[in-house]
Amino acid sequence: MSWLRRTVIWLALGAGLLAPIAVLGVYAFSQRWFYPALLPPEWTASTFVRQLTRPETGTALLNSSLIALLVSLLALLVGYPAARALELGQLPAKGLIYALLFVPTVVPTVATGIGLNILFLRLGLAGTRLGVALVHLVPVLPYAVFTLGGVFAAYDPTYEAQARVLGASRWMIWRRVTLPLLLPGLVVTALFAFLISWSQYVLTFLIGGGQLVTLPTLLFTTVPGGNQATTAALALVFVAPLFVVIALTARYLAGSRVRGGELLLQ
Amino acid sequence: MRYVIHRQRWLALLLVLCIGLTACGAADPTITPDSSAAAPTALLVEPAPTVAPGSTEAAPTPTSAAGAAALNLADWAAVEAAARGQTVNWYIWGGAEGINSFVDTFYGQALKERYDITLNRVPLADTVDAVNQVLSEKEAGQAVGAVDLIWINGENFKSLKQADMLLPDWAQQLPNSRYVDWSNPAVNLDFGEPVENMESPWSSAQFQFVYDTARMPADELPRSYAELKDWACAHPGRFTYVAPGPGGFIGTRFVKQALYEISGDAEQWAGAFNQALWDTWSPQLWQYLNELKPCLWRAGATYPKDESEAHQLFANSETDFTFVQAVVGPGALISDGIVPPTAKAFVFDDNMIGDFNYVAIPANAPHPAAALVLANLILDPQLQAAQVLPENGFGLGFGIDITRVDDPAAQAALESAGAQLGAAATPADELARSLRGDMVAEYQNLIEQEWERNVLQQ
Repeated sequence: MSWLRRTVIWLALGAGLLAPIAVLGVYAFSQRWFYPALLPPEWTASTFVRQLTRPETGTALLNSSLIALLVSLLALLVGYPAARALELGQLPAKGLIYALLFVPTVVPTVATGIGLNILFLRLGLAGTRLGVALVHLVPVLPYAVFTLGGVFAAYDPTYEAQARVLGASRWMIWRRVTLPLLLPGLVVTALFAFLISWSQYVLTFLIGGGQLVTLPTLLFTTVPGGNQATTAALALVFVAPLFVVIALTARYLAGSRVRGGELLLQ
Repeated sequence: MRYVIHRQRWLALLLVLCIGLTACGAADPTITPDSSAAAPTALLVEPAPTVAPGSTEAAPTPTSAAGAAALNLADWAAVEAAARGQTVNWYIWGGAEGINSFVDTFYGQALKERYDITLNRVPLADTVDAVNQVLSEKEAGQAVGAVDLIWINGENFKSLKQADMLLPDWAQQLPNSRYVDWSNPAVNLDFGEPVENMESPWSSAQFQFVYDTARMPADELPRSYAELKDWACAHPGRFTYVAPGPGGFIGTRFVKQALYEISGDAEQWAGAFNQALWDTWSPQLWQYLNELKPCLWRAGATYPKDESEAHQLFANSETDFTFVQAVVGPGALISDGIVPPTAKAFVFDDNMIGDFNYVAIPANAPHPAAALVLANLILDPQLQAAQVLPENGFGLGFGIDITRVDDPAAQAALESAGAQLGAAATPADELARSLRGDMVAEYQNLIEQEWERNVLQQ
């Protein structure tokens, strides 16, 4: 009976997660699909190929990837010490600090975005990839700190003490004890940062001055035209790299703490 | 363990690579202000004497000594020379693939081949985003911004003009400006706001309805707002209009036209804002729209927010009409696959508002010379002929007055283009007969705010 249950669960999961993307696929490869036609009257790959081969798409893919990678790295660099201090540092008013860290997720980005743009223009960061990556940290950091906080909450720092007793240097401790134990959590945090950065539109547009084209800016400027096929084709281009990223990090996503222990024991 | 270490090294290498590339990106000359660009301050001559609306043909005003030093518009060859090798950042609504490819193909190639200028088309979801960019740059005190040219009209033009962030005193000095009928109030007033030499026309547009010839014979079409209400209530749920408001200016226009018809005289709405006139007629306008409301799609509980939503309702047979502004009617929408090939434009017998749209140069444009060359190129009669042809994807009307073109070849091209607008277009004589000008911007704000209170929330 259990195989049946498992099959049903897998089918339901598959349908729920993949059906929206399948619909995008149908729109992207068809034309003039209007109600009440049940199926598209014309199938064509030309829209998809045209979107894929536009020079803007390549530029946008490159910009999106570079910015999201940089954001992941910065999120780890800033989030790691913050989360460690919050969880292992016996700070007073920990809850209040977490609440403050979450403020950026509550305040709408449009409200802060224009002010940030003026600040970034003054700093000479507007219109640059670095500037856009920095501004992406505003929505990314709350999640990064929170995720890493969970990792540190389950982390036992006495392993570090043990290594020190055995004569390891600080670097060696970090390298051989801390990092292997935390690695799955770090990867998951970097993944979250990557995904959040990947889908930013308003902040990218404002700080990039419109000239720094990323996949979301390309997609968002296409949507108002109301062409379903073009929009769906670009949406597929937007989603596809995320599948690759998630596939690459999948082994860290499940049971991260257990795996951390395994790695240490190997 | 060793396996893990390898992975980490690769990860570290990747991240270092990424930082390196990002750092290179920051030095990208198209993004950071270009030091080789002509300083825009050189173009900012003393504020020009304002050209009164209507008083056109303002002979090329001799530019002041300050302007002559760097870019003198009277010496056009010098402007072209200054523009050579520059990249012009044209901020333009990016929703229509047809428009995008028309811009890249026709202007992009001509700029490169004739003037060695690179066109960087910057797509916008809404033109107000470009306005905000320029205003932010002003706030931050940036003498050299990012925007060279904006496709603009109406309140966006007014915002930048009021903020004093438009390059003054250039539009009528463009060589091709001689083809523009500056004495036409529809050209020298933009939503009632005097253009005053701060923007140059690109194309013209006029409100039209669209129906599907496969669904409805032409003789059943309503030809006035009174007939429209009768038709809508005879076919409940088959009509709706775009909600007036930001992004829905075609809906605002729909309401303005109703006001023209209800008040019985469109001409009285021309000129300065008249509160008494508004107070006299607006109650009857809201009454008309509220009588129409129960007959609308979803009984007027909700409205499409922009043209493309109206197109989708129409294409999916949820409603029987949509709206366009293009001289080719829905021609470009048909080739884009947005509406069925049997769609066709039509107009009422009167009160169909038409206007012009423009390009403007921000006062802190990084490449004003290239922007001027592009604004001039847009008025080239051959390119004006190309822009109206439905197969080229743009499909809006002429920005120039084609009777002013003297070159026989160009004249022939314009006339032949005007005769090939496609089967979806409204006949030119019907467009001309129903054409009315727009009203000043004050009415627009009133309509948008009061429509929400008096119609939507009723």
